[in-house]
Amino acid sequence: MSERTPSFKDVFIKGAVIYNPVLIQLVGLCPVVAASTTLKGAVMLSAAMCAELIVTCVIASALLKKIPRWIRVALYLLIGLALICPALWYIETQTLVNLSLGMKIYLPLIAINSVTAVHCEQVAVKNNVKLAFYDAAAVSIGASAVFILVGILRELLGSSSLGGIHLDLPIAFKGMLLPFGCLVILGFLAAGLKAFLAWAYPETENESDPVERQRKTPSAEENVTEVELFDEFWNVSEEPEEVSMDVSIPEPEPEKEKKPEDIRLETAADIDEFFKSLGIDLNEKGDKR
Amino acid sequence: MKFISDLLMTALYTVFIQNLVLSSGLGMSEAIRVSTRPGTFGKFAVMISGFSVITSAVCSLIDNVPAVENATYAVRAAIYGGVLAAVYLVQAVFMRFVLKADSKLLGTLGIAALNTLVLAIPYINNSAAYSFAGSIGSGIGAGIAFVLAAALISQGSRILAENDEIPEIFKGTPAMFLYVAMLSLAFAGFTDTNLFA
Repeated sequence: MSERTPSFKDVFIKGAVIYNPVLIQLVGLCPVVAASTTLKGAVMLSAAMCAELIVTCVIASALLKKIPRWIRVALYLLIGLALICPALWYIETQTLVNLSLGMKIYLPLIAINSVTAVHCEQVAVKNNVKLAFYDAAAVSIGASAVFILVGILRELLGSSSLGGIHLDLPIAFKGMLLPFGCLVILGFLAAGLKAFLAWAYPETENESDPVERQRKTPSAEENVTEVELFDEFWNVSEEPEEVSMDVSIPEPEPEKEKKPEDIRLETAADIDEFFKSLGIDLNEKGDKR
Repeated sequence: MKFISDLLMTALYTVFIQNLVLSSGLGMSEAIRVSTRPGTFGKFAVMISGFSVITSAVCSLIDNVPAVENATYAVRAAIYGGVLAAVYLVQAVFMRFVLKADSKLLGTLGIAALNTLVLAIPYINNSAAYSFAGSIGSGIGAGIAFVLAAALISQGSRILAENDEIPEIFKGTPAMFLYVAMLSLAFAGFTDTNLFA
């Protein structure tokens, strides 16, 4: 097996498309549902999330590996606030940009977004800085694409405008500006992505879908007492320094009894193996690269 | 008496009229995840209410400090986030070292404390100019609203899972999104929102 760091393309396809954080992993819903009502708002949220996620993941990978998880999750919030608050302060006091009240509230909430905690715990603290950066960048792009697409559709359908320019469309359905409208759009986007994955990556069909997986493995609920809730909750693999527990994620690999601390995503095969440890087998997909 | 009535009115408003999960999307990712584990609803309700109440109460007191009254949203964000992180860490340290809580409980604690719903409550209290009693009421309401949303999503997801008439491509996450959209629309009805321009 050749030892190579997976290319950004490898990580991108999995982080942004196959496991799109919003449409597949169902994380980071708050900013898109509540605040992506215009293209401008969606771009601002995307920029804030990209910066926050990348910096936090890189710091987590470089500095926070030895800190217990229950402390780390609070540090992610503080790191995020340390990035976002000065930027928000600068925009509020030093520029003429007039932020809406919603944006003033929802921008800081990016600091506590579930995308950050999940990807810092899933990838960053278990891998080198380069791979943490790749993963954070891929996930940011995947989430931003959804934010911006949703922002465009909601502004077009809800306000008959785009980028603040009125387009005089015959339909203006104000309901699209409500969370209801966003969730309908997300439902259709998720179906579209599912159709694309079924066509391009048939091996992943339903396996990357947490709702479908839960439906097919109803016994998972009974196992919740055997695993750390954070791991099970967000499908994060076990933390190295925590007390060892039997993770009841399906598809164990009997021939490779790797300890959690041995899991390093430094090769393409390691990436596949990592996702296998989450109960998802993407080997055939990896072969298409 | 006014304290109690303010508290109850705000809690009821937060749960039923302004359900923050379904009508604002706050904590929605966590609610959907929790919905698959009905056995944890009570634990999450207590924890989220607890963190929301303590954070709301502390932030409400800080909001009355003259230096903070006219602070920018950036400064408020730093204060509210710092308070939440401090409340969480104090609670986690207490549970870890005094109550000898296991890592599973600490994991639950982290999910319940560090989410957008809990951090948003102080902003909502501030923008709605809630009194101290109202702030506590909205904190309690946040936890109940979260569990109400999770229970409704949980019930719906079971029905969706048994429905074979759903097109294959919409099964799973897409159907879940559309179902939550309907719930969100139902709660929007309570707020007298006009769907059409």
